Amino acid sequence: MILFSVGGTTFAISAAAVEEIRGVSGLVPLRTGYLHAKFSKFKYKLERDGRTYFVVDSNAHFHILPTRHDRLLMLRNRPAAILVDAIDRMTEISSLQALPRAFNGEERIWYRGLAVLKDAVVPVVDPDSFLTKAESTVLNAASGKVSIARGAVAG
Amino acid sequence: MSRTIKGGESFVLFPVGKKRFALAAGAVTELAKPDRLQSFPQTTRLLAGVLLRRGRIVPVCDVAPLLVGPDAPARKFFLIANRNFGPSKEWTAVPVTGECELVNAELLPVTGKLPKYVTGLLSLADEIVEVLDLDLLNAAEGAA
Repeated sequence: MILFSVGGTTFAISAAAVEEIRGVSGLVPLRTGYLHAKFSKFKYKLERDGRTYFVVDSNAHFHILPTRHDRLLMLRNRPAAILVDAIDRMTEISSLQALPRAFNGEERIWYRGLAVLKDAVVPVVDPDSFLTKAESTVLNAASGKVSIARGAVAG
Repeated sequence: MSRTIKGGESFVLFPVGKKRFALAAGAVTELAKPDRLQSFPQTTRLLAGVLLRRGRIVPVCDVAPLLVGPDAPARKFFLIANRNFGPSKEWTAVPVTGECELVNAELLPVTGKLPKYVTGLLSLADEIVEVLDLDLLNAAEGAA
C-alpha cells in the first residue's frame, strides 16, 4: 500500500493501482464549468505518452477544504491521476476491515475498507471511485472530441 | 450505580448536557473511557468518526446535537451499544457527557408529540427520561 495525505488525513491506496508518483508540473487546466457540478473535482488534464489523464482534486473528491498539493498519483489502467498533499510511505497491510455499515454516504463508494496501522485507522481508497467510465466518457467528449449539451449527464 | 423499580425492565441512563436519555440495557455493550476519536472524510449524518476498541473499528454516532442542540457540552465517555443491520448487529459508540446509570423501571408509552425514535418513557423519582431507539434515531436523521 502507498500511504498519502490530503487535508491532514492519511489514506492508503494499493500500490498495484498506481503507475507513477510525480510532481505537479505540466498540468493543463480543464474547463468543466458547463458540466454537472460533480465534474468540478476534475481540475486539470495531463497529456503523457499520447494518453490523456484527467486529474482529480482529492480535496474536492472527499469534500474537504483545499490544501496545497505537491504530488500526483497517476493511476494504472485508468485515465486518471489524483492530486494529493504528500506521500507518506509504503507499507504492508495485513488485513482490510469492511467499512462499518453505519457509514452509508459517499464513503461507501470512496473506500474499499479500513486498515489499522499502529492504532491508527486508515481508509483504503477504491481507485475506481475517482473516475468512473461514464465520467471518463463525458470528459473525453468535453475535451473537444464530441460536443455535449449542458447538463446532458447528471447521473 | 443502579436502582430498581419492581417489575420493570433494565435501562442504561446516560447524560447529554443537562438531560438524561435511556437505552435498553440489552442493547448496551459497555461504557468506555475517553478514547481517541479518529475521523476521516465521510458524509454520513451524525457519524463523527471511529474508535478502535480491542481491535474492532467502532463507528462513533454523536447524537448530542440532535437531542439537545448544537451547544451540547464536551462528551466524556462513549456508551457502546449494538445497532441492528438486518439480521446482524454492529457496535456503535455514542458519546455521552457524564457517568451512566443502570436502572430497572417500567417502560411507559410515549405521550404527547415526541420524535419516532423515542420509544417510551421512564418515570423516575425526579425526572421523565426518554428511551431511545438508536436504529430509528439514525434512520430519522438520515432521512432529514
